[in-house]
Amino acid sequence: MKFVTKTQSNRIVRWAAGALAGMAMAVSVVPAGAQSAACVPRPSRARLEAMRYANMPAQAFPFGRYIKPYALWYVQPDTLAYDGAARSLPTPDWRKLPAINLGFLGPLQPEYANAAYGMAMLRGAELALAEANAHGGYHGKPFALKIHNDKPLWGASAIEIVRMRYRQQVWGMLGSVNGASTHIALRAALKIQLPIVDTATTDPTVTETRIPWLLHNFPDDRQQGYALADYIFNHLHLQHVAILRVNARYGRLGDKVFFNTARRLGAQPSVVVKFAPYETNFTRPLRELQRLGMDGLVLWANARQAGLIVRQMRAMGMHQPVFGSSRVAYPALLKTAGASADGLVAVSAIDPTRLSAKWLRFRLRYTRRFHTAPDAYAAYAYDGMNMLITAIRQAGLNRARIMGALKHYALHSYRGVSGTAFFDYTLNNIAPVTMARVEKGHFIYWPERRSDWRANTWPGCLAAAGR
Amino acid sequence: MNSHAYDFSMHSMLRRLGAGVLLAVGLLGAATAQTPPLYTRWINYTPANGFPAGEVYSVAIQGAKVWAGTEHGLALIENGQVQKVFTRDDGLAGYAVMSVAVDHATGAVWVGALGGLSRYSGGKFTHYTVLSSGLANDLVYNVAVRGHYVWAATAAGVSRLNIWTHTWRIYSVLGQPSAPFKEPWAYALSIGPHKAYMGLWGGGVVTYDLRQHTWRPYLDPDGSAEIVLYRNQGLISNMVSSLAHGPQSNTFWAGTYFGLSGYDGTRWHNYLRQDSGLASNFINGVTLEGRRVWAATQRGLCEFDPATHIWVTYRPANWRALDSGSAARLGRGEILITDPHGRQRKLETASSIAHNYILSLAFQGRDIWVATAAGLSHGFASPSRRIHYDDQNRLQPHARPAYARH
Repeated sequence: MKFVTKTQSNRIVRWAAGALAGMAMAVSVVPAGAQSAACVPRPSRARLEAMRYANMPAQAFPFGRYIKPYALWYVQPDTLAYDGAARSLPTPDWRKLPAINLGFLGPLQPEYANAAYGMAMLRGAELALAEANAHGGYHGKPFALKIHNDKPLWGASAIEIVRMRYRQQVWGMLGSVNGASTHIALRAALKIQLPIVDTATTDPTVTETRIPWLLHNFPDDRQQGYALADYIFNHLHLQHVAILRVNARYGRLGDKVFFNTARRLGAQPSVVVKFAPYETNFTRPLRELQRLGMDGLVLWANARQAGLIVRQMRAMGMHQPVFGSSRVAYPALLKTAGASADGLVAVSAIDPTRLSAKWLRFRLRYTRRFHTAPDAYAAYAYDGMNMLITAIRQAGLNRARIMGALKHYALHSYRGVSGTAFFDYTLNNIAPVTMARVEKGHFIYWPERRSDWRANTWPGCLAAAGR
Repeated sequence: MNSHAYDFSMHSMLRRLGAGVLLAVGLLGAATAQTPPLYTRWINYTPANGFPAGEVYSVAIQGAKVWAGTEHGLALIENGQVQKVFTRDDGLAGYAVMSVAVDHATGAVWVGALGGLSRYSGGKFTHYTVLSSGLANDLVYNVAVRGHYVWAATAAGVSRLNIWTHTWRIYSVLGQPSAPFKEPWAYALSIGPHKAYMGLWGGGVVTYDLRQHTWRPYLDPDGSAEIVLYRNQGLISNMVSSLAHGPQSNTFWAGTYFGLSGYDGTRWHNYLRQDSGLASNFINGVTLEGRRVWAATQRGLCEFDPATHIWVTYRPANWRALDSGSAARLGRGEILITDPHGRQRKLETASSIAHNYILSLAFQGRDIWVATAAGLSHGFASPSRRIHYDDQNRLQPHARPAYARH
């Protein structure tokens, strides 16, 4: 099977040309940063009805070979309809407020495995906030970040969002890395009417609740799983892959998307092996995988554990290709695995080597301020915080109207430092992801090129693919 | 679907009366039946009459007392007056009150809030939080009392307190022994004499047999959030927001944000906005009253009769204007009746439910109390005002004038 058939290639070229023309026309912003529907033609009704949720590959559609489902969700404009009364609530006099408070929920305790992501996220948010304040804040009032630690203990952070809302009177919040914490916050947000911009979790289910109080811009496990499956099965034509994943929600949800997609593409993974979140010795599961035999190994893990796995794998004489989720494509992988990592291919949430002026300027400002280079979590938090601030400036101090402003991003693009996001009706970023391969101790990046790619939403998607 | 708003002018009345006579002659001999009484008069409790502002999440009845859980505390209404609003300053454990349950044996009122569980008895609050008790989490979404047990659905599982022994038990994936929860977040409870029904966020419905100590999960059988494979496939979605169990031990209705699911012990009966009179697929609460199912949706309060498949929806006539955030004022009410053939009749009433975004409801005799996003509504049924339908459950147009006088 070829990577891209001639017909597909022609179609992509045509769509890309149209998309680029449309993008070039896009000037006005609704809201600022979102490309106007007036500039790029909206998809026709027929195309909307033919939309595949989350841009899933046609073959990956559940039961798609056998039956047309009775009902589809998430592809209708009213997916996040809100008919409550919060838009009518009175707006407080901003002149009487000392600051416009915004919430932050992320893992910050150094001993927590996800703390590195949480810290990067915090830095990105702080930079966005500082820049917004330097540009006048909200009518001259500064934005203030109310920082809450997302504790690793199960459910311990649940009450944080309530404190943010009632004690600190925040107008919106960012968070979190952990899918479970985000779900808990989201469910509470429905009751206490608080907009959430989630910039870090890869949990694909946070945007599948129909709770109309969340926007999510980090590439989720659906986008990652589809990209990896396409690369492995349609590009490399592997058949017998195995999955080795962390025994946590992160691994469980990622594995599920990849596994189901692979199965529907006719290449069901032969085995799924789990390991503990703090495991360092992988000899036993690797020996088992060696015994079973496989063409390739997919890792849903963090970078350090992935590095250990690759190193131990090569030491055992296993030379199968290795693939990874977005948390694998981190410098910690290179540091841990050394030369063993060469050839590993992973999804990456951003391409840090691209020469976009926006990204380069952000990287410079970020590095000057924090003395470290930004990563994907910092970039998406920066973009998410800017989206939230823009929405507040547009809508005023009314939480439902702020969320309403964020909802304008549905079927619109947002060009940020992380790249060009494109949001579907669930307000989830479904823009194509970036792929990364380790070559001689460095990551080489390229944009995802799904071989079955179809501009099933509108041309903006393809434009995003070429970012 | 055919919908029609009524005016009640004399000219219109006479015209309809004439048409009604002709139709009645034509249908002479055809069997007709009528719906239960419609709620045609509403009194609303809002900040204008001392009620807390914001959303009303729950309502519970204790004889003549009505307890309402609101965004800003626990409100007590008696004799048509707001008697007291309890806040954190009065000792309430949490901020927003998600759920209220009355222990009719002791008179205690149990309050589930975003901040913990509280017991109000003898004019005092007693608190139960993660740090001070066996409560699984401080976000308490639902509380129920049955016998000497108090059940609380929390963001980390279901907790049960034995009020005789003051011992706790946690039902969760992390509990001992662990419960077969696909996800740990519990949001809905309905406790029967022999079974506890638990609605889980992302985990479907799980029932716990109180005598056999056995579990039975009910999950969306297609396993894919993005589709409903078959109409009556099983539970319509794993994201369950509310539950109500029926008189038989294995029947229940589940409200989700993806439609309404009913299980009669053998088969499933699912309803979506697109295939029934359900006003919205986004259901905040579900309650049973006899055989009738009440769904608190974000686009109105729906009453469904599974025997006739007739739906009745109550909401403000100008509900779309209310939602827009404009300065629209509450005006007349709207009653939308949908028969199983998709035919609709729309009626207007002089008073209206406080808002179309409904969160829960409770019955006080024949009266109904409805928690909405903009106040608590007290509805009065009019026994003489019913709608007629024939033996095919088709709405009878000539029956309209029966309550057009209102």
